[in-house]
Amino acid sequence: MTKIGKVAIVGVAQTKYEKDKIDQTYSELVFEVVKKLHNDLGITNDDVGCVITSSNDFNDGRTIANMAIQDAVGSVRKAESRVSGDGAFAFMYGAMRILSESYDTVMVVSHCKCSEVNQYLVNNTIFDPYYQRHLGLDQISSAGLMANMYMNKYGVTEEQAAKVVVKNRKNALNNPYAHLREEITIKDVLNSKMMAYPLKELDFPPFSDGAVAMLLAKEDVAKKMTETPVWFKGYGNCTDAYYLGNRNMTDLIGLELAAKEAYRMAGINKPNKNLDVCEVSENFSVHELMIYEALGLCDKGEGGKFIESGETEMNGSIPVNPSGGVLSSNPTMANGLIRVAEIALQLQGKADKRQISNAKTGLAYGMNGICSQGNCVLIFGGE
Amino acid sequence: MTKHDVAVVGIGQTKFRSKRRDVNIPEMIYEAVKMALDDAQLEPKEIDAIIIGNMDHFEGINFSELLCGIEAAPGYLKPVVKVATGGTTGSSLAICGYHNVASGIYDNVLVVGWEKLNEGGATTGIITAFDPVWERPSLAGALGPLALMAGMYSAKYGITAEQAAKVTVKNRSNAANNPFAHLQMPNITIDYVMSSQMIAYPLRLHDCCPQSEGACALIYANEQETKKITDNPAWFHAVETAHYYTFGTDDKMFDLPTATIASKKAYKKAGIKNPIKDLDVAEIYEPTSWSELSWTEGLGFCKPGEGGKLLDEGITQMSGELPVNPSGGVLSTNPIGATALVRVAEAAIQIMGRGEKRQVPDVEKALAMGFGGSLWTEIMILGKNPLR
Amino acid sequence: MSKNRKLKKDFFEIKWKTDLPYRYSIGKLAVKFFEELKANKKIMGSKCPKCEKVHFPPRAVCADCMVEMTIEDMVELPPKGTLEGFTVINYPFTDPSTGGIRPFPYGYALFKLDGADTYTMHFVNETDVNKMKIGQRVEAVFNEELIGDLTADIPYFRIIKEEN
Repeated sequence: MTKIGKVAIVGVAQTKYEKDKIDQTYSELVFEVVKKLHNDLGITNDDVGCVITSSNDFNDGRTIANMAIQDAVGSVRKAESRVSGDGAFAFMYGAMRILSESYDTVMVVSHCKCSEVNQYLVNNTIFDPYYQRHLGLDQISSAGLMANMYMNKYGVTEEQAAKVVVKNRKNALNNPYAHLREEITIKDVLNSKMMAYPLKELDFPPFSDGAVAMLLAKEDVAKKMTETPVWFKGYGNCTDAYYLGNRNMTDLIGLELAAKEAYRMAGINKPNKNLDVCEVSENFSVHELMIYEALGLCDKGEGGKFIESGETEMNGSIPVNPSGGVLSSNPTMANGLIRVAEIALQLQGKADKRQISNAKTGLAYGMNGICSQGNCVLIFGGE
Repeated sequence: MTKHDVAVVGIGQTKFRSKRRDVNIPEMIYEAVKMALDDAQLEPKEIDAIIIGNMDHFEGINFSELLCGIEAAPGYLKPVVKVATGGTTGSSLAICGYHNVASGIYDNVLVVGWEKLNEGGATTGIITAFDPVWERPSLAGALGPLALMAGMYSAKYGITAEQAAKVTVKNRSNAANNPFAHLQMPNITIDYVMSSQMIAYPLRLHDCCPQSEGACALIYANEQETKKITDNPAWFHAVETAHYYTFGTDDKMFDLPTATIASKKAYKKAGIKNPIKDLDVAEIYEPTSWSELSWTEGLGFCKPGEGGKLLDEGITQMSGELPVNPSGGVLSTNPIGATALVRVAEAAIQIMGRGEKRQVPDVEKALAMGFGGSLWTEIMILGKNPLR
Repeated sequence: MSKNRKLKKDFFEIKWKTDLPYRYSIGKLAVKFFEELKANKKIMGSKCPKCEKVHFPPRAVCADCMVEMTIEDMVELPPKGTLEGFTVINYPFTDPSTGGIRPFPYGYALFKLDGADTYTMHFVNETDVNKMKIGQRVEAVFNEELIGDLTADIPYFRIIKEEN
């Protein structure tokens, strides 16, 4: 890979994440964040070079889901393209459009409404129609399989897993955008309804509606637009095997390789020391423990011990998910871009009550598919 | 900033058919991928990233790239991203691939577009692209609005059904020279087109594109990698996109305003002042015969209303000054997720001089076009040498 | 071609239908539209407060100005308009809302309601293309009973023979 140029995030906007935004069409949902972003930055649509969006046809109930939001993102007579997947991947495509010297500014928007369709049915459609779909597999059952195998291999307990939920739900109290803002206890998690052994209802995130938008700019434009540009430093993208039977179900190999590549690009040798804050897409409690290991924050199999050490708490050495994470707000397609937005706020010093002091380098992780099949790791720096 | 030049170095296509019952989806895509890898003489492990696209509603598989990127393409433990924008999917893939390499993030990229339409329902899927309250109840797939457009175009400029039929005759007889094309009709006549069933006035059956199954794969590389791979690449000169309103019918659409907007920008970047003179071949996305006449106006090949005249004068025939669709175009082959990518592939083939029976002589600059969504246009201009 | 026919016999097909129901949010302007249609037989569009472009169907965003339109910006439109394009659909396809084949042939047109600045599509009650011409006047035909559903309440537009 040859030397790459500089691109920065200059501003972000999010909606409040909620269970059911029944009064908003997709157009209105997206317009809310687009307008907010324009207003916050003092720009008009003319200042935006092009738009990259992220959405999912099955979730929106609409083939070419980005067609519904053309008016709202301001792409009439202009360029827009769409990544059909998690918003973090859309961020990277947006950054590429600036690095290729094609545009000075790119707006990246991701939206998702889980309230319009049964999410388990939509998850089931991810599986191939030849073998796996007929088993009725979805995100829940796959997570149960993965969690069971992982916990069995490394001796991780349900209490340790529950600690992730308690941490993230408590962090969400500081995040005015979060969907679930209610503290819960380990006991609450352990006593909740069993969904897919050993994972219980509170081990899983809610389903949310919401949207997020951000503006990326090339170096000189970014410096003019804001005093706190958030610089893109590193990127890694890695896809694990498709069939669950072909996957290593106890270690997130895809994430590990994606993180290695992102660290290499960003010049990070010791993630624990070099990173100040992480925002990861944890789709179930045990997932976050596996993510710690794959990101190299702790050794393999030590995820359970790591959460117990308190290092990933707000006042720990490497806070993870100060925003409350996916366990607090889960508009599925937008999760990755929300992680990027939260890191941007951290590095700009604009994270209010959930601010990690002196945050200079942050990691955002977005995933696609079932249980971290597709992985996108992004590293950002405040300088 | 370090921007890179990007070239097409490997091309693969399947023979497009209406039904590929003999293969499942990954097997079908693999045919095109293997062909592209062999063409570029690259090992699967040498591919840096894969960008893959199709309309997932048509085959009913959500996140289809996670299946196909791994099972059909060398995506295991590599980056796999899906770009899906309806009819323009192929060109959006082509443009995404361009930015992936031009940005310097990857040295090479494999771009794959595919569709296996008969495993789902294309018209049904296309209807769901539109608003459930306002548009879906009356909408008849893509052909409904295209029929309206043809009718308005005809009424405004006096274009005749015979002139439209000439387009089908040109394209499907051109397709006879293309071993990959779906509908190859070397002996097709105007009568054959004009006596086919009227399916949505004024569109007759043979004024409309077919539904095909197949895949197309392209390999791109930056200038350093291209030197190692081939001395006969096709370089990207310009890529442009223009979109329009969410409700496609907000504006009168038959003249495709987005084609004018996108092509003007692309021509400026690529140094094209007079398309007929400065371009040597064009692969445009014509979903119906009438569309080709109208799109040639939108692309600036002739004045508004003169699309029929352009064809009558033979300018867009194989022997003309600017041959349009030597591959047979969309009227001959239409696997929706791949169609626009096939336009880029065919434009690259022309630049590389590998068109064999469908080769246009001395091609230095080629245009490829994608169309879809609510009247979106994507333009890609390729050239024999890097743009400097 | 003959190779294909041989292959056809070698493969058997499994047909499988899935229901995937969606609850779409239509937004406040659409709700107001249907309320007015049902209660007062009114057709409403939305007017941009900045450029004054009248949109039909009504929607929350004026794309040219990037300005929001609310129910305060909704204006009544007469049920009459001018035909700009027409066709007769004459092929079978599965309707995604019903899962069955939509009955055909049916007339389908593009027209501009008087006072609107955008065009719109809907059914017309004519299946003979020789009886339709661009520029004809059309008007909405309302159902006896109005329930707040677009195609139930306005099943089609008719060509106003008296004015043509």
